[in-house]
This record gives sequence, structure tokens and C-alpha cells, in this order.
Amino acid sequence: MSKTALVTGASKGIGLETVRRLATSDLGIDTIVLMARASQAYDDNVAALEAELPAGVTLVRETVDVGDRDALIDVIARVHAQVGNIDFLVNNAGYTNPVPIHQVDFADFERTIAVNVYGPFTLVQELLHLGNRFEVIVNIASTAGMNGRSGWLTYSASKAAVINMSEVMREELKIYGTRVVCLSPGRTATDLRKVLAPDEDPTTIMQPQHVAQVIETMLGPTGQYVDQQNVIVRQ
Amino acid sequence: MGDLSTYFGANVISLLLLNGGVGARAKTAGPKQFVKINGVPILVYSLKEADEVEAITQIVVNYPEGHRDTVEQIVKDYAIATPVAYVEAGETRQESVARLLDEATNDVVMIHESARPLVSAADFRELAESTHANVGFMREISFTVAPVDPDSQRVTGSLERARLRNVQLPQKFAKADLRAGHQFALSSGRTYTEDATMCADAGIDVFFTEGDERNLKVTTPGDVNLATHLLRHEGQEDV
Repeated sequence: MSKTALVTGASKGIGLETVRRLATSDLGIDTIVLMARASQAYDDNVAALEAELPAGVTLVRETVDVGDRDALIDVIARVHAQVGNIDFLVNNAGYTNPVPIHQVDFADFERTIAVNVYGPFTLVQELLHLGNRFEVIVNIASTAGMNGRSGWLTYSASKAAVINMSEVMREELKIYGTRVVCLSPGRTATDLRKVLAPDEDPTTIMQPQHVAQVIETMLGPTGQYVDQQNVIVRQ
Repeated sequence: MGDLSTYFGANVISLLLLNGGVGARAKTAGPKQFVKINGVPILVYSLKEADEVEAITQIVVNYPEGHRDTVEQIVKDYAIATPVAYVEAGETRQESVARLLDEATNDVVMIHESARPLVSAADFRELAESTHANVGFMREISFTVAPVDPDSQRVTGSLERARLRNVQLPQKFAKADLRAGHQFALSSGRTYTEDATMCADAGIDVFFTEGDERNLKVTTPGDVNLATHLLRHEGQEDV
């Protein structure tokens, strides 16, 4: 049976690599919706991906800011009408601007929560209201959500929320047979990591494709045998 | 959905979902149908399972006076796709069923109650596919029941346990038979707490099929805990 996946933050990093793996997986996925903000990187990376795709897999581009709730709600309704049921949802889009508490700008804290917490919540709730039945939801949290880190107040708080929100979703969506996986990557060579640790050599840490490989596994049949409460992925 | 009656033969079904009782025994703050099981309103479980059954093309649900909006909102929030009709609860269970029955558009009806959240789509399908027109789930009873005179507290005889059953829900009836059962109850001035025995007393053939122990009726706070436990740990027998 043909399945549909939706990946947020799909323009680069873990999201892009996840789309690449899902397009060639044996999960029966023939449609992948790529949500991300409009950018040159998005256009270039999706074009490159389309060139290497196997026949029969369709990429659906949706440029939207996951932190813009009103715009997101409109896009979700349109996407659902266009592609039908979303079987696999990967809530990957993330935002951070790490500063100490003395320097936290409240609007920036709100932005962090909007993208990292309200975004995944809105995607799941809106789709449920549309009668969507998820097979698997993967929420990307972070090891920074398991313990607070000095200088990362807004990010750590938002990812702690993702971990706990995932636990609730797992309980409540059990009636539909939906699996909810919370996945917390450690240091991964992404643009977000460059913001968190600008002086680090990205070649020395985990790569986005490694995390994408774990996401693919968790979406597939093997994933049901793994305790999904908070899957920690680190090098 | 107009052609479904052709597709399923005469067997498209209206589900009469009892949801109008008050939580006197469960000692809950509000009406018991808004009791939460694992944090989710108890009504959701039956609605969601019934919604998955193709043969159920209409759900008629009742609500306690003043709570129609709450029920409608639950139906909307949980994206129940089957058309739902809303009826205010009656003074008695019997009156509530009669009112629900008046709104049923199909010739076959099922009766269920939201206080049994562990019902499954498979339960509804089993009844839908039964060759009996009037049939419900019942269980053997594991204890002995004595007939008594409550006023004098005198035991008046004995009952043979093997010939008694615990009446569960759901049940399925031909609408005309259930209506005849209710007319019998009204004309004979009797009040029943469920419909299988009512119809049997009216001389209508009613059958039972073996029910599941899991399909418990949530009445007391202890039942809420038990149902929550069963729903949370389904398929996790090793924890």
C-alpha cells in the first residue's frame, strides 16, 4: 500500500537526510511532503534530491514557517486535501538562539517555543481534527532537553517540552494504534549545531544521515520493538 | 453514503449510544459520561470504535440536560466521520432508549453505553454479522444470586446460576422488535433496566453470545482505575 510521509525542516540537515532515506526505503512511501521555510538551500537541495529519486516517489514542496501557526494551519489543510492521509510524520524543524538568562529576549523565547513545541503540536492536532490516522509520529527532541545546559535556557526548555509532549501523545493516540517516537539526537553536524557550538569541527561529530538512518528504522517494523519513550542517538 | 444500504444488504445499523446517566455511583463531579479514562473523556472510546465499523451509518447519542454542546464538541474534536444525531436523555434508561430509537434511521439498531469504554470495533462487527436479528453479549456469572423480598429481608427461594447471565452491551435488535418490546413495557406498566429481557418478556426471540470480561461497565471509582489500567497496558503484558 502506498504511504505518505511529511517531514518538517526538510530543506537541510536531519530533515533533508530523512527525506532522502524515506524515498529509498522499503516502507512503501510514494509521497513525501517537505515542509520548510522558503530559502535558496531548500530550492537547491530539493532539486538535487529530485534528480536522484527513484521512479514512483513524488516530493511535494510546501514552504511554510512552522513557527507561524496561522500559516501552518492553512498549509496543513491544503496538504491534507491534496495528498490525503499522512501515515508518517517527522516533526524535525527546530530553532535556537542560545543565550544566557540575562540576555534572553522574550520574543525570541516565544519564537523558540513556537517552532519547537507549538509547531509539532499544531501539525498533530490539526491533522487529527481532519480525521488523519497516523501510523508513526517521530518528534525530534534533543539530549539538551533531558538536562538543562548553561546558556541554552530557551532551547533546553523547548526540547524538554517535546519529550514530555511526546509521552502524552503516545498515550492518547494508542487508541488508533499510532506509535509516537521521541528521538533525542546528541551533537549532530547541522546548521542548528553551528549556532550552539560555533567553534566545533563538524566532521568530528555525528552526521545528519546517521540520525536519519535511525529515524527510518524507528518508522519501520523494527521500531515497534524499541522503547520509544526517548530514543537517544549519539556518537 | 446513500448506496451503503445496497452494499451491506439490509444490515446498515444505527447505533444508539446511551450517554445520559448521572454519576451518582461513580461519585464524580460531573455527569459520568464525561469521566476521563486515561485522561480522555469516556465517551470517546465508544465513538471511535463505532466510527470504524462500516455497517454503522448513523450514531444516535444522548446527552444529559444542558450538556449537548459538550457532546457535540467531543464528536467534532475527535473527527467522528459517521453522522451523529443528538437526543436529550430521558427520565429513565428505558425512556432514553425509546427516545434514541425514535431518531434511528436504519431498520437495524445496536444499543451501547459510553460507560463501557473497552468495547471494540470487532464487538460491533460480531453482532452486525450475527444471523440472529436480536442478539447481545452476555457473560456467565461467577457468583450466586438470591431472590429476596427487600422489605422483610427474607430469602424467597433460589436461582440456578447456570441459567443466568450477566447482561452486557452492545446489543443488536431489529428496530421493529425493539419498538414492540418498548410498547409491551409501556402497556404492561413495567420498567426495565435493559432491553434484551424486555423483548424476551414481550415474547420476542432474543439470543446471547459470549461476551468478554474486559468489556466492563465503569460505575465506581475503582472501575475507572481498572479501565484506565486495561487501556494503558493493552499489548504490554510484560510490564
